[in-house]
Amino acid sequence: MEENDGHERSGRLGMRADPAELRAQLVALLPRLRRFARTLARDAHDADDLVQLAIERALTRAGQLRPDAPLAGWMYGIMRNAWIDELRARGRRAHLFAPAEAAENVGDASQGTQVEALSVQDALARLPEEQRSAVALVLIEGLSYKEAAHVMQVPIGTLTSRLARAREALQAMLGEI
Amino acid sequence: MTFSEETLMAYADGELDAATRAAVEAAMADDPQLAQRVARHQRLRTRLSGAFDPVLDEPLPERLLNTVRSAPANARADNVVPLQRPRASAPRWSWPQWGAIAASLVAGALLAPLLLRPPADAALSTREGQVLAGGVLSRALSEQLASRQSRDAPVQIGVSFRARDGEYCRTFMLRDKSALAGLACHNHGSWRLQLLTAAASPVTAPGAYRPAAAALPPAVMRAADELISGEPLDANAEAAARGRHWSR
Repeated sequence: MEENDGHERSGRLGMRADPAELRAQLVALLPRLRRFARTLARDAHDADDLVQLAIERALTRAGQLRPDAPLAGWMYGIMRNAWIDELRARGRRAHLFAPAEAAENVGDASQGTQVEALSVQDALARLPEEQRSAVALVLIEGLSYKEAAHVMQVPIGTLTSRLARAREALQAMLGEI
Repeated sequence: MTFSEETLMAYADGELDAATRAAVEAAMADDPQLAQRVARHQRLRTRLSGAFDPVLDEPLPERLLNTVRSAPANARADNVVPLQRPRASAPRWSWPQWGAIAASLVAGALLAPLLLRPPADAALSTREGQVLAGGVLSRALSEQLASRQSRDAPVQIGVSFRARDGEYCRTFMLRDKSALAGLACHNHGSWRLQLLTAAASPVTAPGAYRPAAAALPPAVMRAADELISGEPLDANAEAAARGRHWSR
C-alpha cells in the first residue's frame, strides 16, 4: 500500500482550528472539490451547489476536524453524504433528473474530446452510487485505497471489490480503444 | 505465475507493495497478454481523468469563493454556530426568500397541526404569503425577556438583536412536542417568521433544561448571523426594546 503523495499533504497543516487557515486551504482545494462534485452531480450547477453546501457545513463543523486529518478526504465525505441526501430528497419529490439530461458538462474541449468525455461521463453516471464514488475517489481524485475506503466508511476489501465491479462495467460500456 | 484481475488493477492504481509490483512487471515482460490486461486498466484511468480533469482548469465561480471567504465558521467542537460580527457582504438570502422558505415549511405536513389548532391558540398563522407568529409564540416574543424567563415557559427565547434594516429579531424554541425552533423579526406590529426548523434536541425533557442558545439549531444561528447588525442585545437593551414595543 503506497502513500498517495501530493494531494493530502496540503491538508495536513496543524492550524485547522483557525477558520482563516481552513478557508485558505479550502480555496486551494476548490478545483478538486468541483471535479469530484461533477462526478456525483452531472449538472454543473448542481455540482457547484453541492460544493457550496459542503463548504458551509465544513466551516460550521470546523471544530470537529482533527488537525492531522486530510482535509480533502473530509470534504469528499461531506459532499458524498450531502449528495446521497439530495438524491433521497429528489426521489421523495419525484424530481429525479432523467439520466440523459444535462450532458453539457465539460467545456473548452475540442469536438472529439468532447464526445469522448461525454461518453465516459454517461458510462460513469450509469453506475450505482457506491461504485461511482469508488471510481471517482481512486481513479479520478487519485486517493489511495485506504483513503477512499475511509471516505466511504467501508473496509478496504469492500472498496476494492466495488472498484473491480465498476471497472468491469465501465470497460464493457466504453468498449476498448 | 498468474495474477488475479484485482492484483492487476491494484498494479494500475499503484497499490502493490514493491515485491508484488516487481513480480507483475517481470511477468508482463514475458507475457504480452498480461501486459495488455494491465494496459486496459491504465487506459481506463486515463480516459476517466481526461473526462473530468478539464473541470480543474475552469475559472472558479465567484459565489464559491465568497462562500469560502465569508460563510460562518465555528472552530469549537460542539457544532453550534456562534453569533459573530456582522459580515461585510450582503446576506445570501434576502428577506422575501426567508419568508418563502418559512412558508414552504409551514405548507408541509409536519407543521399542519400547528396551523389547524383553534385560531386563538395557533402559534403560527399566514397572512399575504408570510408566516406570522400567533398565540403563545407571539406573546412570548413580545413579552418574554430571555434574561428572566421561566424554564417552564412554553416558549424559550434565545437571542435578541437588531437586524441591519433596524428591525428587532429574536430566536425562539417551542417546548411543546413540535420541538420547533426559529427566528422571527418584528414588523408592523407582528412577528414575521424568518426561519423555522426542527430543534436539534428535544427541549421538553424534564430536568434537562439547557440555556436556550446552547440548544438552538445551527441553521437558526446562521440565519441570525446573516441578519444581525452589531452585537446581540444584552439584558438591559432587551428590556428597553420591549419597552418600545420592539418598534425601530
